[in-house]
Amino acid sequence: MQSSVNRSSSPRGLSPLARKRLGQGVDIIATLVVIFFVMFPLVWMILAAFKNEIDVYSSRLFFQPTLDNFRAVFASPTLLGSHTWISVLVSFLTVAITIPLGAAASYVLSRHRFKGRDSLFLLILITQFVPAVVVAIPFFNLFRTLGLIDTPIALVIVYLSFTLPYAIWMLRGFFDSLPVEVEEAAFIDGCNELQTLRYVTLPLVMPGLIVAGVFAFISAWNEYFFALILTKSDSLTLPIAIQTISGPRGPVWEQVSAAGIIVMVPILVMSLFIRKYFVEGITVGAVK
Amino acid sequence: MDIPQTSADPVTEKSVLLPAQKPWKPQSASLRWVMLAPALVVIGATILYPLASSFVTSFRDWRLINSPTPGPFVGFDNYARAFTDANFLNSLKVSGIYMFISVVLTLLIGLGIALLLSKPTKLNTFARTLLIFPFAVAPVLKGYSWKFMLNPEYGVYAKMIGDVFDPLKGYVWLGHEFSALVAIAMSEVWGWAPLFALMFIGALGSISPEINEAAKVDGATNFHIFRKITLPLLAPVIYIVALLKVISAFKMFDQVAVMTGGGPGDSTQTLYFHVFQTAFRNLDMGYASALSYILVALMGVIATFYVRTLMKGD
Repeated sequence: MQSSVNRSSSPRGLSPLARKRLGQGVDIIATLVVIFFVMFPLVWMILAAFKNEIDVYSSRLFFQPTLDNFRAVFASPTLLGSHTWISVLVSFLTVAITIPLGAAASYVLSRHRFKGRDSLFLLILITQFVPAVVVAIPFFNLFRTLGLIDTPIALVIVYLSFTLPYAIWMLRGFFDSLPVEVEEAAFIDGCNELQTLRYVTLPLVMPGLIVAGVFAFISAWNEYFFALILTKSDSLTLPIAIQTISGPRGPVWEQVSAAGIIVMVPILVMSLFIRKYFVEGITVGAVK
Repeated sequence: MDIPQTSADPVTEKSVLLPAQKPWKPQSASLRWVMLAPALVVIGATILYPLASSFVTSFRDWRLINSPTPGPFVGFDNYARAFTDANFLNSLKVSGIYMFISVVLTLLIGLGIALLLSKPTKLNTFARTLLIFPFAVAPVLKGYSWKFMLNPEYGVYAKMIGDVFDPLKGYVWLGHEFSALVAIAMSEVWGWAPLFALMFIGALGSISPEINEAAKVDGATNFHIFRKITLPLLAPVIYIVALLKVISAFKMFDQVAVMTGGGPGDSTQTLYFHVFQTAFRNLDMGYASALSYILVALMGVIATFYVRTLMKGD
């Protein structure tokens, strides 16, 4: 009895203090393993972007950094600059349409009471489950007829199919979390509904608009499936343009990595800004 | 890093569909529809229109190589064809296996990360901040980075694995059926598991330390505490998270295109990839529309579970 208690409280004869230290050491190592798993693929890609050809294939950790890969991808034939511009244009246009439309609709869905409101909201939610291929086939044929294949407009139109329902879904949550009393006070003070919305509600819900805007931006910026179908050469977005960086041995890794940095750094910075809302945003929106 | 708790969070909140507040006076009916209309028009045009159009096309014979305009109606032929099409049945199987692999790996690794980072030390708080990064990376880049690291000649992960376990030296990870599927899954798991860990950490934070202390005093081992206290309390979160992963696994396309192109053979041809090939490589629009409607039906089943979970509690 006595010995079993001893064994369980101090294994291998260590003093309590040493055990605590050992425990802390194990905890730190465990955390470092997690950090390695999470960050290493990113770090490795970032390093590769600054390596020359020989260092990339030798996978050494110390090397003479170079900016040649960035020069190469912005030069011919990749011309990443023009693809970056397309990506910026498409993503901003998508956000610029999604957020005003989404905000107006979700305000009504949050503040108004009318017959069929909850069914309408549910319908909007369910649209997020529509598989992308179903949307892609008719739009591919429609845009072919209209001559819109390989234009930024075509991409913006199909991107709205997933950013708008998602933004409504998310913004409705933000409107719901605002206390109505403030708006009621403004109303009693003589504002009409539109003025209340303009001067009271919208400023209060601004963080929500920004978060929803960032999510819409990220999903448009990272989008691959529709862009692969609806672009050919003039309107390649960044995720598609990266695929063109290949040589006789397949992808030119150091240049792919340099282009990869251009794709991921703006997104990483944005997600850091809205990190408080990240988990919730995914739960709502990972559907599409 | 704190886990947000606003009303849209289905894990903590009872229902997002419940009326959140008392009715208030300024509700102009005309303003209501003026504000709703633009969004409804866009949703109608970008989702309901293609949904209807695909449905009609799914009953026609329309090969774009033969004709730029839709061909004759063929009844249920396209649907009948799907159930005897070995390629489609294969992609059902591939997606099923892929779903299983990626859900299990994500849950295990996500739980592992959550347990390792559960103590609120300074280093852990810092590590938690990093957890959102992989998810935000474009899927194409996830695919490229893992393909790069798993290259048998110069891939850094391939080398590490070969150094630890000699028989796997020079193993062509993307050249074998099962390991290619696992590699694709890992590129996804790398993005999702850290995020799920954040959700788990949030849920673990709601377990008061006194419960664990009391259990220890009563002689429970750490394993017992995990099984009898931690796991049951995490169960609702695990359920929602597993559903999300099932949905995302069902839609797997990007990394397949980047990492394997469906190969070797057709062993990584997921459902989305197969329908994509049918529509935009073989240009068989009628058949592809029918296949995509089968995806709608499958997705409908998953959606029912998801919506039911969100609405639970009212």
